[in-house]
Order: sequence, then structure tokens, then C-alpha cells
Amino acid sequence: MAIAMSIYVLVWPVVVAVVLFVISRAFYREWNAARRRGEDLI
Amino acid sequence: MGDLGTAQFSAVVVVLLLVLFYGGTFLISTRIGKKEENADGYMTAGNNIGFGISAASMTATWIWASSMYASATSGYTYGISGPIHYGLWGALMILFIYPFGKRIRQVAPRAHTLAEVMFARHGRSSQLMLAGSNVVGSIISLMSNFIAGGVLISMLSPFTFIQGVFCVAGGVLLYTLWSGFRASVLTDFVQVVAMLGAVAVIVPVIFFAAGFPAAFETGAANLTPEQGNFFSSEAFLGQGAPYIAAVLAYAIGNQTIAQRLFAVREDLIKPTFVTATVGYGAMVIGVGMLGVLALYLGFEPTGGDLNNLIPEMAATYLPTVLLAVFFIMIIGALSSTSDSDLSALSSIAMADIYGQNISTKADANPRTMLLVGRITMVVATAIAIAFASLQLNILDLLVFVGALWGALVFPVLASFYWDKVTNKAFTVSVIAALALFIPVRFSLVPMSGPFGLLVEVLSVVGIGVVLGLMVFGFLGLRVARVVGVVAALASAPFVFGFLRDYATLSASLVAYAVSTIVCFAMSIGNKERFDFAVIQDVTGDFDEDPADVVREAETALDETDSDLAKEA
Repeated sequence: MAIAMSIYVLVWPVVVAVVLFVISRAFYREWNAARRRGEDLI
Repeated sequence: MGDLGTAQFSAVVVVLLLVLFYGGTFLISTRIGKKEENADGYMTAGNNIGFGISAASMTATWIWASSMYASATSGYTYGISGPIHYGLWGALMILFIYPFGKRIRQVAPRAHTLAEVMFARHGRSSQLMLAGSNVVGSIISLMSNFIAGGVLISMLSPFTFIQGVFCVAGGVLLYTLWSGFRASVLTDFVQVVAMLGAVAVIVPVIFFAAGFPAAFETGAANLTPEQGNFFSSEAFLGQGAPYIAAVLAYAIGNQTIAQRLFAVREDLIKPTFVTATVGYGAMVIGVGMLGVLALYLGFEPTGGDLNNLIPEMAATYLPTVLLAVFFIMIIGALSSTSDSDLSALSSIAMADIYGQNISTKADANPRTMLLVGRITMVVATAIAIAFASLQLNILDLLVFVGALWGALVFPVLASFYWDKVTNKAFTVSVIAALALFIPVRFSLVPMSGPFGLLVEVLSVVGIGVVLGLMVFGFLGLRVARVVGVVAALASAPFVFGFLRDYATLSASLVAYAVSTIVCFAMSIGNKERFDFAVIQDVTGDFDEDPADVVREAETALDETDSDLAKEA
């Protein structure tokens, strides 16, 4: 029971970390592409 | 219980943290600042934002300080399923509205506000109804976030509540005022990185510092059987079900979400909404787990106030450096939503009030529009500070606005798909829904006899409408009708004689049902059909160069001449 509850509680920070990685990587790529084109990011 | 006396920051540390946060976001906003700001850019950043920023912005806007506090409260109150019944449904609503978002962008690719689109679709009364509800909702949201900031700062530092409110309000206004929506979305990225990073670290640290996983065994006696049950019906009826009805309305009616929908590049709407769904859900449920841990520990928040739960858990189990990270996380959450509200309010004032009611789209001066937008931000901040100092009951106000938007959901969505819906049907259906919602929500009429039965019949219809709308976006009208009817029939035996005791839930469902029935009944016989192509012509850029307009007109004339020549 303790193991199942531990996984249940700790899986969310792991998912959060994955989303953080996805968003950060996309931002970096867009920023890099905008810089290469000499345009503003927004 | 948390001993905040040993964990408080000194005034210098709090000032440094606030300067670091708001100074940093201000510096970022100056990087994109333009001497000659563009009115359309100020509202929607050119309708061309990429996936990284838009997904971050959507996530940051949907997460506010109250969502973290409320998720933890749900975990503490309803047990292990509590955070799911708060976070999962809120997250799924982002997912459920993306098909509608795609349709809205299809018919109004360069609009700024949903109310502006309603003006093009129906006319003034529908526009002002939607715009008015957005203004009230955003002011309440601003006030709520300022209150959360004031409470946090007063709890963790020597500063008073009102000083905290002024710090947060001034900080948000500082970086949002000049560049508007562009500043809001760019700083959202930084804020969401801070928030997600903080949750990824803080939750595991508190978990182990508080003695888990062993505490799951030693503290199991602190849970009631219902709190220990993952499939708790109490948690679903008390938290999950009312929330499903409320957040669908929030997602459709809220200009902060609509503004991001109009800003993101059209082909990136789906990945943006899917990422925001996962990001929001994981973060809010993750923070909500702190409430579950507190329940196992037998943790008692000071004065029994559940808003103290998260700050006190953090103050008790986190080292000072991570407590500072926690502080930044909450400030980031409330600031990202506040700057979105300021941008939403300024867009409504610019596009709906000045652009289409005081002036006309053709005559609107973009420089005057920018001035209107900036003045709106300052006035809205001042009003929100004034209301925050009164410390009104936010929850009641939010529920009221949620229901107001609940009454708008069907008429708004039907207006984008069904060419028979009229301005009269829209307006009358919303007013009728509110007229019945108010006595139910505030129990002005006893829920017994024929009135109680009427409310339950409408609640059954409301369940069918909510589930039907959710399915409609993905699978179309035929499947939605089947799901709606089956859901209504299946829920009926559980609703009659029972749901009248849950005023919040039944009032929301009544709002959905009445607006749907009246809007449908008044539209079905309408012989006139609306041409959706008109919306694209009426909504659009205010900064359009007159030379471009002439060029477009010349191109259109050339095409017409060419067509005529072919026909000849």
C-alpha cells in the first residue's frame, strides 16, 4: 500500500518535469529560429 | 503544526525576492518593448505565436494561486481522490475546448476577443453581455490573486496584508502596462518554468522530509473510509461534479483563454492545448498531494483555515532556500494569471468598447486604442486593490461568475456552428437562465414540491447538455445527441429527490439547461440563415495600413473582372 501511494504521489512531479522539458525545448527552438531570421520572438 | 515564527523571511529577504521576480520579468518585457507599440500586437501579438510560448502561456494562465490552494484543500478534505477531482477535470476542460477553439479561429482568424466575434455574429447586446461578464470575471480574478499575494507576503514576512497586495499589484502592472499581451505571454514562459520547476522539486522534498512513505502506514488511521477510497462518491459529488460544470463555463467564457486562442498560430492550437492539459493537470494535482500528505500526518492548519495549509506545510518541511523557491512559485502563479486578466480587460476596452461601440472599426485610431488599453489596466488594478482590501468572499463571487458563463456556453457555441441562432435568442436565453439560476443558487425559493422537481428535471437536462457539448467538439452532432440523451436518462434516477440538496451543482446545471432550451426553441423556427463568412470581414486588424486595404480592394476587383471575363 505504501509503495502504491508513493508512486501515486510522486508520479505528478515527474510528469511536471517532462512537460517542463517539452515546453523549454520548444521555446529554445523558436527563439533560435527567430534569431536566425532576424525577427522578434513575439 | 507548522511553526511559522521560525521560518519567516526578514523584510530584506522578501524585498529581494520580489525585486528579483518582478525586476526580472520587467527586464524581460523591456526586451520586447517597442517605441511605437501596435494595437493588434498589444491584444493578440499578431496571431502567430509559436508552440513553446503559447503552451507555456496557456498553462500559466490556467494555473492561479487559488487552484493550488483549492487542490490541496480538496486533498485534505476528500482524501486520496481529492486532488484528482480538482485537477483532472480542470485539465480536461482545456482539452475539451480545443475543437471549439479551432472552429472559432476558422470563422474569425484575426479577432481579438470572443465578444468582438459575437458582435459580428449577432450585434451589440450579445457582445456587451459577453464583454460585461468577462470584465466582472477578470476583476474578481485579479482581486482574488492580489488577496492570495497579500496573504502569502503577510504570512511569511513582517509586511502587512495590504502592503503585500500593493507589492503584487504594482509588480504585475509594471511589466504588463507597456507591451500588454506580448509582455504577458513572454513572461508567462519564465513564470511557468519557475512554477513547474518548483513543483518538480518541492513535492518530493516535502514527501521525504515529512517521513513518507512510512507515514502512509502510521497515519492511515487519520483518514475516514471515504477519504481512503479512491472512488469516493462524496469526493465526486462535493468537488468533481460541480467543478466539471463550472470549468467548462470558465474555459468557454473566459477572455484570457480566448485571447491565447486568437494569438497562437492556427496549426498549433491542438499541441498547445494538449500540452497545457497535461502541464496544468500534473502541476495542480501534484500540489494537491500536499493536502493528502497533510491528512495522513494529522497536520492542522492555523485557525482551521485551509488556505494556510500549503504555506504552512512548506514552512514546516522545506529548508529556507526551497521556501524561497516556494514563495516564487506562488507569486509566479498569481502574477501570470493577473497579467492575463489585465491584458484581457485592456483588449475588451480596446476592441469591444472603444473599437466597436465608441468608434467604428474603420475609424478607430490605433494610438487612442493603446491609450485606452493602458488606462484600463491602471483603473482595473486600482479597483482590484480596493476590493481586495475589503477581503470579500471570493468563492461566492467566483461561483456567481461561473454560473453567468454557464448560461452563456450553449448560446456562444451554437452561434459558431448553427446559422439559425439569432441575437434575440442569444440574449433572451442567457437572461432566462440567470433568472432561474439566482433563486436556485441562493436558495431564495424552498427546494421542495413542484419547484424542487422542476430544478431536478432541468438538472437532468443540464447533465445531458454538458456531456453532449463535450462530445460534440470531437465527434460531431449525431454522437453528441446520443451521449446527451443517454447521460440525461442514466443520471435521472440518481438526481430525483437527491440533487436539490446540492445548490451549487444544481444551479449550474439549471443555467446550462435553461439557456439551451430557450436558445434552441427560439432559433429552430428561424427562416433566415447567417453567413459565417461575414465574421471574418467584420473582425480583424485595427492597425491595417490604408495602403494594404487599397491593395486588397484592387486585388478583389481584378479577380472579379477576371471572373466576369471568363463568364463572358
